[in-house]
Amino acid sequence: MTGKKTKGSQDITPEKKVEMLEQMIVIRHFEQKVEQMFMQGKIHGTMHLCTGQEATAVGAIGALEAKDKITSTHRGHGHCIAKGSDIGRMLAELLAKETGYCKGKGGSMHIADLDLGNLGANGIVAGGHPLATGAALTSKMKKLGYVVICFFGDGASNEGSFHESLNLAAVWDLPVIFFCENNEYAMSGPIKEMINIEHISQRASSYGMPGVTINGSDVLEVYEATKEAAERARSGQGPTLIEAKTYRFKGHSRADARKYRTREEEKEWITKKDPIALFKKSLIDEGVLSEEKAQAIEDQVQSFVEKAQGFAENSPEPSPESLQEDVYA
Amino acid sequence: MREITYAESVREAMSQVMRADEDVFILGEDIGIYGGAFGVTNGMLDEFGPERVRTTPISEAAITGCAIGAAMTGMRPILELQFSDFITIATDQIVNQAAKLRYMYGGKASVPVVIRTPAGSGAGLAAQHSQSLEAWMAHIPGLKVIQPSTPSDAKGLLKAAIEDNNPVMFYEHKLLYGMKGDVAEDSYTIPIGVADVKKEGTDLTVVATSIMVHKTLEAAEELGKENIHIEVIDPRTLVPLDEETIIKSVLKTRRALVVTEAVKRGGYGAEIASMIGESEAFDFLDAPVSRLGGVDTPMPYNPTLEKMAVPQVGDIVQKVREMLNRA
Amino acid sequence: MAVEILMPKMGATMESGTIIRWFAEEGEAVEAGQMLLEIQTDKVNIEIEAEAGGILLKKVYVHDDEVPVQEVIGYIGKEGEEIPAGKTAESNQTISSGTSEGSPVMPDLTKEQIDIDERSIRRTPAARHEAQKQHVSLRDVFGSGPEGRIHLQDVQDYVLQQQSSVPRVTPLANKIAQDHAIALDEVSGSGVQGKVKKQDVQDYMQKGSRIDAIPSLDQLISSTESVEEVKVEGMRKIIGERMVQSVQSAPHVTLVSEVDMSEIIRLRKALLPIIEQRTVYRLSYTEIILKSVAMSLREHPDVNASLQDNVIRRYTDVHVGLAVAVENGLYVPVVRHADRKGLCELTTICKTLAQAAREGKLTNEQISGGTFTISNLGMYAVDAFTPIINQPESAILGLGRITEKPVGIEGNVVLRPIMSLSLSFDHRVMDGVPAAAFLTALKQKLEQPFQLLI
Repeated sequence: MTGKKTKGSQDITPEKKVEMLEQMIVIRHFEQKVEQMFMQGKIHGTMHLCTGQEATAVGAIGALEAKDKITSTHRGHGHCIAKGSDIGRMLAELLAKETGYCKGKGGSMHIADLDLGNLGANGIVAGGHPLATGAALTSKMKKLGYVVICFFGDGASNEGSFHESLNLAAVWDLPVIFFCENNEYAMSGPIKEMINIEHISQRASSYGMPGVTINGSDVLEVYEATKEAAERARSGQGPTLIEAKTYRFKGHSRADARKYRTREEEKEWITKKDPIALFKKSLIDEGVLSEEKAQAIEDQVQSFVEKAQGFAENSPEPSPESLQEDVYA
Repeated sequence: MREITYAESVREAMSQVMRADEDVFILGEDIGIYGGAFGVTNGMLDEFGPERVRTTPISEAAITGCAIGAAMTGMRPILELQFSDFITIATDQIVNQAAKLRYMYGGKASVPVVIRTPAGSGAGLAAQHSQSLEAWMAHIPGLKVIQPSTPSDAKGLLKAAIEDNNPVMFYEHKLLYGMKGDVAEDSYTIPIGVADVKKEGTDLTVVATSIMVHKTLEAAEELGKENIHIEVIDPRTLVPLDEETIIKSVLKTRRALVVTEAVKRGGYGAEIASMIGESEAFDFLDAPVSRLGGVDTPMPYNPTLEKMAVPQVGDIVQKVREMLNRA
Repeated sequence: MAVEILMPKMGATMESGTIIRWFAEEGEAVEAGQMLLEIQTDKVNIEIEAEAGGILLKKVYVHDDEVPVQEVIGYIGKEGEEIPAGKTAESNQTISSGTSEGSPVMPDLTKEQIDIDERSIRRTPAARHEAQKQHVSLRDVFGSGPEGRIHLQDVQDYVLQQQSSVPRVTPLANKIAQDHAIALDEVSGSGVQGKVKKQDVQDYMQKGSRIDAIPSLDQLISSTESVEEVKVEGMRKIIGERMVQSVQSAPHVTLVSEVDMSEIIRLRKALLPIIEQRTVYRLSYTEIILKSVAMSLREHPDVNASLQDNVIRRYTDVHVGLAVAVENGLYVPVVRHADRKGLCELTTICKTLAQAAREGKLTNEQISGGTFTISNLGMYAVDAFTPIINQPESAILGLGRITEKPVGIEGNVVLRPIMSLSLSFDHRVMDGVPAAAFLTALKQKLEQPFQLLI
């Protein structure tokens, strides 16, 4: 794909599209498994599910090259999976096992895979902005040619480090894409009550960078917008702010009665804007996918996730000696 | 050997390392043409250019996090935080990111960043530009904390800090920048975590940090006239702390006084004092382990009040006499 | 198979949830994802979706029930499907750990005692360390620090001063003391800086040659010069309760016998320098009597017994307690296997225990497990008394002073150093004969100490 100028979904191969759908389904099933295991008491602590937001993770990361990097958020399982992480090791981390990505010491909010260019999920809202900016500075100073996507939620756009980082990245023309997954609620706070502008993407203009608002339920639209931003970044034209409108189908974390929104609103999104259902339908309509093939993918993913669960559950606990390991390099 | 100032020594350490290692660069507010608020980076822009002597917006959170992100991905940044008081704005990035990333990512990341920052009072800069807040950072697992007191220590420790693969807080002292001392011309390191006995003595151990090392040495002169011989230990590094050197000294003198400029309550002096109390030196103590530290007040602007707010030579002399029942 | 509906765990702190309402009835068909019931956690009310479709077969719990997390609250399955046998709730009753056995002697008073004892003296750790090393009581040391805090230098000064003031005895007094086997450090000197003179030694002897006993008992005698009200608490209270209990539960009988101590005095005099050289401690009568008692007990296990819960236990191991007076009370440190130990070892043990008792440093182990007790009032003008048994032991021996008394020997009246033994025993445990036999055996050993070699 490199070297070839891709513009628009027409340029994506059918294989790539099916692959993206498959990834989205993996994310959906993974989150279902996590929820189930949490309810069974197998996972302790907390978890933030990205069910409903599969298109932003898969679309954005799908537009990247392997050498590109991401920073993720507390709602980061989808980003990890889209960046190619092993779901067995992810589940093992959620079960706090030694084989987990963080040796059982990070948990859901801190999964990182530096080898794959995943600089890690971050439990601090807008904690990733300065880090992504710094990683982009490395790319620029060492002429490594990679770009960095900084994922964040709508809530993070009100943090100081969001604004400081956008400014810094803009004045230094750093190859970074600030990717806002606007799922309408900052924990329980409706974004309309949290900002006094129509779109978060408008904030880009204050820092002299382009800002776009896109449909986050449409994986191909996400792909295209990110592709364009990545090309800008790679060619030395600096950062872009992308705002993808999306929705989390589940609560903020599991113990969330979701009193701040109506069941009708949820139903509207779940029935009409489910990114997986929409994408699947369009691929079937396009003739790229058959119903049978779609079902086969579902079944395949199901057993893939079951296998990951088996691996995670059969993994050992971290040793007591590991308590103080890795505090210092 | 020649004499250079503390500021020159810090600059020399950075320049020597930057000449040898392309990955090392410095960023911070006004460090380019201006040369930094205290002139520490004077002339570095000319030698290394604006890519490697990077003047930043006034944006402590972003520039600190940016340095951390760059460190995670292969650079070895030195961040000059203009005043250590401004660490409040950068604290999330230092405490929740730099210090934690390696541990919470299961040992995969390393964050070789040095945050240099001037601390301390005495320059008439009042409450928001005169604090000694090193205890905050010393409290955080994952950070190393250094407080050099002499030009020669500053140079060797800074090189060690840059070469270290962990986030290192490097607290300089504003009043020490102009202080001259013998400094070797070659590039050298002083290992992090090794205390220095600045003066040997028999009657009482004073553990002093940063500028208090010099005040204590002055006090030692005066006490010597009264035939009181104190031993002066400069930990140089707060984290990791060279406990062994301190305990060994206290076992010898049986009395320990800790002197810091930072406000006494909750300061790092308390950590050193309790470390002594918990050590095998306890059974040999012949007086309560005591502390001298800053008064419980924001730093006042008035020069007389400002002096009163932190320990002075006379305070140290008096305290030592009291501890020896010679008051 | 029917699918279990579990009370979900909604967070780390959630231990149980309360069912607010079910949205479906038993027998009703439900779809996967359908709202099934609403629960209340410590944080929120939350709706639970059905994980699987089917018939709601059973509600194990109904509304208002508080259910632990992960407990089955219902089943979904096919029509007519069998429900698995209900889980039995695991009993959370904790098994109480065995109650600790009543300690036979003074319970945990040590700590309390410590606080009012030497440790209340203001001193630095270095001073305490040095005092211990030099066997110096901090009570005697002047503290030069703030509020009289004793520093290392103060202890060192004291030791120097002590050393320089040696000898503290006139040569003549020294000779008399040696001839009479009197420990000089027990004689108070009337000379300059407490120098011991001839008269002091003679005065001391006149007070009655004393058993070199466990010291500090003089502290037991409180001032009677004026009325002082002392609240009965702490150690005093415990001693009182225990004494009442012993007297009320055990019918005490006290047997008294007089012993000629001539041989023991000779024995002590002969062994004193040898043991002192080996152990640095001075042999007292206490240790010799202790040894004799222990060996007699071994031969008379009837007396080396306890009574608890209607069971009499006779011990083959002999652990003898020694009553040691301290301020406002007494301790009974125990010498274990006293019958198997030589006089060197016994001397060291007794001196160390007595010291620890006075310093309030006895461990619980050191004051428990005794099978018999010796109480010595021989340093006072006491001939015989009725000691009270230290329960659950069943006998106690009281030692009186040694005084010269006229004794008829082979038709002649001669003066001999006589000491009386007072043996109290618990008549529930033994009768008069075995107690008398024990006392006789002890008397024989004391009068013919070569028997101790057997």
